[in-house]
Amino acid sequence: MAGGVTATAALPRAAARRRARRGAATPWLLVAPSCLVLIVLFLTPIGYVLLLSVTDPNVSLGHYVRIVTVPLYSRVMVNTFLTSLIVTGLCLVLGFPVAYVMARRRGWITTLLVTIVAMSFWTGFLVRTYAWLVILGNKGPVAAAYAALGLGSPPRLLFTSFSSTLGMTHILLPYMILALYAVMKKIDPSYLKAAASLGARPGAAFRSVFLPLSLPGVVNGCLLVFVVCLGFFVTPVLLGTPRDMMISQLINQQIEELLAWGFASAVAVVLLAATGILLTIYNRFAGLDRLWG
Amino acid sequence: MSRARTIDHGRRRFLTRGGAAAAASVLGPLVITERSIAQTRTVYVNTWGGSWTAAEEAAFFKPFTEQTGIKIRTVAPVSYAKLKAQVQSGSYEWDVTAITQADLLRADREGLVEPIDWTIVKKEKLFPNAVYANGLAYCALGTNLAYRTDKFPQGGPKSWADFWDVKKFPGHRSMLNNPVRSLQFALVADGVPPDKVFPIDVDRAFKKLDQIKPHIKVWWTQGNQSQQLLRDGEVDMMVMWNARASELKQQGLPVELVWNGATITTTMWGIAKNAPNRKAAWEFIQFAVQAKPQADFANRLYYGPTNPDAYRYVSPEVARQLPTYPENAKVAIKPDTVWEAEHTAKIQERFTQWLAG
Repeated sequence: MAGGVTATAALPRAAARRRARRGAATPWLLVAPSCLVLIVLFLTPIGYVLLLSVTDPNVSLGHYVRIVTVPLYSRVMVNTFLTSLIVTGLCLVLGFPVAYVMARRRGWITTLLVTIVAMSFWTGFLVRTYAWLVILGNKGPVAAAYAALGLGSPPRLLFTSFSSTLGMTHILLPYMILALYAVMKKIDPSYLKAAASLGARPGAAFRSVFLPLSLPGVVNGCLLVFVVCLGFFVTPVLLGTPRDMMISQLINQQIEELLAWGFASAVAVVLLAATGILLTIYNRFAGLDRLWG
Repeated sequence: MSRARTIDHGRRRFLTRGGAAAAASVLGPLVITERSIAQTRTVYVNTWGGSWTAAEEAAFFKPFTEQTGIKIRTVAPVSYAKLKAQVQSGSYEWDVTAITQADLLRADREGLVEPIDWTIVKKEKLFPNAVYANGLAYCALGTNLAYRTDKFPQGGPKSWADFWDVKKFPGHRSMLNNPVRSLQFALVADGVPPDKVFPIDVDRAFKKLDQIKPHIKVWWTQGNQSQQLLRDGEVDMMVMWNARASELKQQGLPVELVWNGATITTTMWGIAKNAPNRKAAWEFIQFAVQAKPQADFANRLYYGPTNPDAYRYVSPEVARQLPTYPENAKVAIKPDTVWEAEHTAKIQERFTQWLAG
């Protein structure tokens, strides 16, 4: 080995290197616990589901073929995506004006709206689902209004695609509003003033300044609502009809009633893949780190 | 890991091990906690929750704990899938399950239930026909036609044929989202004598179901939901569990139930294979099938005792409303459990497609 002089010179350098190494390791140490939790509680079960989908009861891709070829299952898939699309559209149409007012106005109206949206956000969705059973039910306010106006009994509202879509839209609306609001309140009002000073009418200023600036919120809100809606379970069961079955109901039934875990896993993998594809597209164009405002 | 036993179940062996390893690594800490609790003598019971469990609490759990010091904790709702997962992974959430007779038979054939421990269960303390598929008979449940009497002042439906007769008995209807019951009622409505319903002629039954399908407003899945439908007048007649209908009657609602053509199924007690607290669990089950606890349960929730001696503790007014009351049992259908256990999975799939179609 080296002599005394080199040894003493090497000492501080080694210490520096150790420090540097520790410095490089710190971020890893910080993320290690959450990574571990993710691997154990998230990736392992998902890997297991993936494995089950091609091995239970025997090794084959049969479950995936069945999803595509049996009309019921492909219809459930299509129906789930269509329903999610409709709910997302409704949430956007209903949520945009609310978020706009919340972001542009100051004072009591904003406070009131934020309170209403937040309270609705925090109320359990089962409670909100049951509320629709009462509102649209035979003894509910809608039926009472019909009777009071002398219109006889109302058309059948409950246990239809209409009631189930309505329920889901109601439950997901706060997600949309909050996503839009987060982006809209950051839009500097002076941009709109500048547009006005250059001769733009309010409508034109909104179309060519505010709307483009609020688009990230629109994309975020739509993505959030759509992805959550894909996995909806209780609301369509309670408010809808068996014809409106969504993917989650199918998975639940396959597991609970038919014990067909392999097939249920395959359906779950399809749902996961669809969500993954959506997020990938989003990431490509917008960047996932912007999802939360 | 020591809990991950090899299950003699060839086709699932590979998965079982993979699953057990995954579950053991994930649930490791939980399993240890569960074992330390086991030493304080607690039995975990999988049951239906709600008013069902409230009645169990008073009739079975509390008296049993008072007598033996063994505590009871419950998990709801009953899940066959979970029973299977527990046995395969070797990590247990509960020991005892309440389960329908057909499901118990299926579970027993799949090796998911513990054989009866005759060192604890005493034959002389049981009633005739108490034992089936390694479980003990818990209670009898009626699935009846129930209707709003205020909607039918001229007299309500008296049979499944009347339920199908939408001209003579107009009104909204609801049925239980259960394939075998639905097929069975359809056959009776089509004129099949009750004792000839099994084995079910599936094609004929589906054809008959086609006729009623447009008139079924809701296919319900939960007991509470069924009561809400009739209470709020969402529907005028429906398939309903007998105790649920009786409960509405007790609350003063204009509801009547029909025993003619109703189904009487038996609910059983069973123990998950290799469940950690199985010894105490057998003690519990033996206690729960005795006449007095069964009568206490029936007095609270109108499902029928399977132990004939229980009727000694039930008043005649209550007895008349129970599924095992001779007058009721005589006109009802007793399903063929073996047929049901063997065919349910296949029929369920067709039924689901039919419902969604």
